Amino acid sequence: MLRFVATCAALALPAATEAQTPSEIVVTALDRHVLPGYAALTEATGALAAAAEADCAAESLDLRSTYHTAFDAWMGVAHLTFGPAETDNRFFALAFWPDARGATPRGLSQLIANADPVVEDADAFATVSVASRGFYALEFLLYDDTVSAAGDPAYRCALVRAVTADIDLTAQTLRTDWEGEFAGLMRDAGTNDRFQSPEEALRLLFTSLDQGLEFTADLRLGRPLGSFDRPRPNLAEARRSGRSLQQVTLSLEALSELASILSAGQPELQAALAMAFDTALDRAAAVDDPVFAGVGDPLGRIRIEGLQVQVGDIRDITRADLGPALGVAAGFNALDGD
Amino acid sequence: MRRRDLLAAIGAASLAPGLTWADARDPAYVSAARHPDGSYRLCGLDRGGAVLFDLPLPDRGHAAAAHPTRPEAVAFARRPGRFAIVLDCARGVEAARLTPPANRHFYGHGTFSSDGGILFTTENDLDTLDGRIGLWDAANRYARIGDIPSGGIGPHEMVRLPGSETLVVANGGIATHPDSGRTALNLATMRPNLAFLTPDGQVRDLAELDPALRQNSIRHLAVRRDGLVAAGMQWNGPKGEDPPLVLLCREGGDRDLLEADPAAHRSLQGYVGSVSFTRSGSRVAVTSPRGGVLQVFDVARRALSAVLREEDVCGLSPAGADGILVTTGRGISGVFAGDTLAAPVTSVWSWDNHVIAVG
Repeated sequence: MLRFVATCAALALPAATEAQTPSEIVVTALDRHVLPGYAALTEATGALAAAAEADCAAESLDLRSTYHTAFDAWMGVAHLTFGPAETDNRFFALAFWPDARGATPRGLSQLIANADPVVEDADAFATVSVASRGFYALEFLLYDDTVSAAGDPAYRCALVRAVTADIDLTAQTLRTDWEGEFAGLMRDAGTNDRFQSPEEALRLLFTSLDQGLEFTADLRLGRPLGSFDRPRPNLAEARRSGRSLQQVTLSLEALSELASILSAGQPELQAALAMAFDTALDRAAAVDDPVFAGVGDPLGRIRIEGLQVQVGDIRDITRADLGPALGVAAGFNALDGD
Repeated sequence: MRRRDLLAAIGAASLAPGLTWADARDPAYVSAARHPDGSYRLCGLDRGGAVLFDLPLPDRGHAAAAHPTRPEAVAFARRPGRFAIVLDCARGVEAARLTPPANRHFYGHGTFSSDGGILFTTENDLDTLDGRIGLWDAANRYARIGDIPSGGIGPHEMVRLPGSETLVVANGGIATHPDSGRTALNLATMRPNLAFLTPDGQVRDLAELDPALRQNSIRHLAVRRDGLVAAGMQWNGPKGEDPPLVLLCREGGDRDLLEADPAAHRSLQGYVGSVSFTRSGSRVAVTSPRGGVLQVFDVARRALSAVLREEDVCGLSPAGADGILVTTGRGISGVFAGDTLAAPVTSVWSWDNHVIAVG
């Protein structure tokens, strides 16, 4: 049965006949969510780096298409900000957003203006500011009118190759660390120093779900929405490559999969979460505005706000029902607010 | 209150002989905590962070103030609480209980005058939502003797400049009323400041942030022996802006914002829960319980020098010359020296936001 379900679409509900132990939930999440997610990511980043080697031109259809595929794959694991993603700031090295102070275009423009030789060596490039690395930097190099045309084309080509190779290297390192060590520590939680109990490992997964929902509601949707008096369409995530709504949809799909696994021992809760995610995904499909350009238009805005409200509702269920059901209360001080 | 009475009160404490901190099993620190049975206590900790004693509190605490000489610790209720308990840490009993006037609540922090004669508490005036500083006579069973304006709205932590009676108040700028819980009532107009006050309420200096940072609520403070103040902020503006969260400031002097590289900075999640200098003053530490991260900065270089990831980390206090005692909501306490947590103690206690050095 489990094998059958695993081959179904992301939203399929794993069967649940009895409550699962924290340890069982963690193992399921690793085997069916985390590790497949990183495997898919490295496959896509490998293709991206190869495409840049073959043709580094910003207009290259192959490069652009592999960029989208790799970014899509990243969205499958972008909420897993703990463990190997924390080491050496790998998370931010792949995904530095939001960028309120414009560090990404500024950093890239400086590299280009100086024809900085740091692009010639992968180890050296890994020391460059995270703002000039990762998917969001690559988006500027491929799609931003200014950055994609700045300076010497040969240097820009080298920079595109350096950024894509660095994305691939970081993703491969993440996968290696997960498969080689961290997944094992989570599986054996309670018998090692890193995790004193299975609940501790489970809490990391729960927090990823909760913070992933918060990120999508407050940043992916909240930043472009701004306020009614001051909508901010230019703050939409990855708008240059037309991905803003896509990012929301993909994050909801990944979070829905994780929520389904975490709630598998609670059939009613699992069904409630599935319904809430379905509603959110339906609303996302109805937005029909790929870069949230319509946040200033009353009718367009109301659809995007409705989506944001629904993501907030999912988060309410997660915090009020799923967290207590799993026995993973949020931090005593983290919740304090003073 | 009249200046003459106030000055008479400061100085009175030294006339009262009695027990010292050595009589209280010599704790190095006190911290509020939650016990697994759900009760709230004030605990005395040794130098390594192990529990020496615990005393009951009526509800959740926040920070505490240690009397400079007498073995007394004042535990403050968590905002918007209305109790502060003076605990006799030698006898293990409640020595006095402070209740603010009817239209007031505490913000969770307080500090003593240099000789311990007066206790100062940060308070909210519920009629005006202006910040006030309550004054209590420590030589007379902590009788209320008056109050002064805090210099702003939402005063939170308060410290005293070493070698002076000048109070430094973090006016967080956020107006709240218990009727609406912790909801911020003035986000659109908030304007936090760092107020340098005389104990009789004169404003000696007022440090404000750049207008673009006015939604950065100044909450937590530490002060170095030479008067350098470090303030920790909490961002209430749009998410994703990630403004600087640490301010270095002197009365009447330069203001410097301290910030790690973008990735490390972002891990604070816009929220600083505690600030502490080392005793030597060469380093300053900040925690974010939301990010589960401790960052230590080299003060002279204004640069990040060490990072510790520890779930729900918050409490900070100086340890030895160059170390920092660190506590977490998950029961961990230990001294962070160099770049590791040496010999951490794991306990059943959920350590609350602040751990206070005594003696």
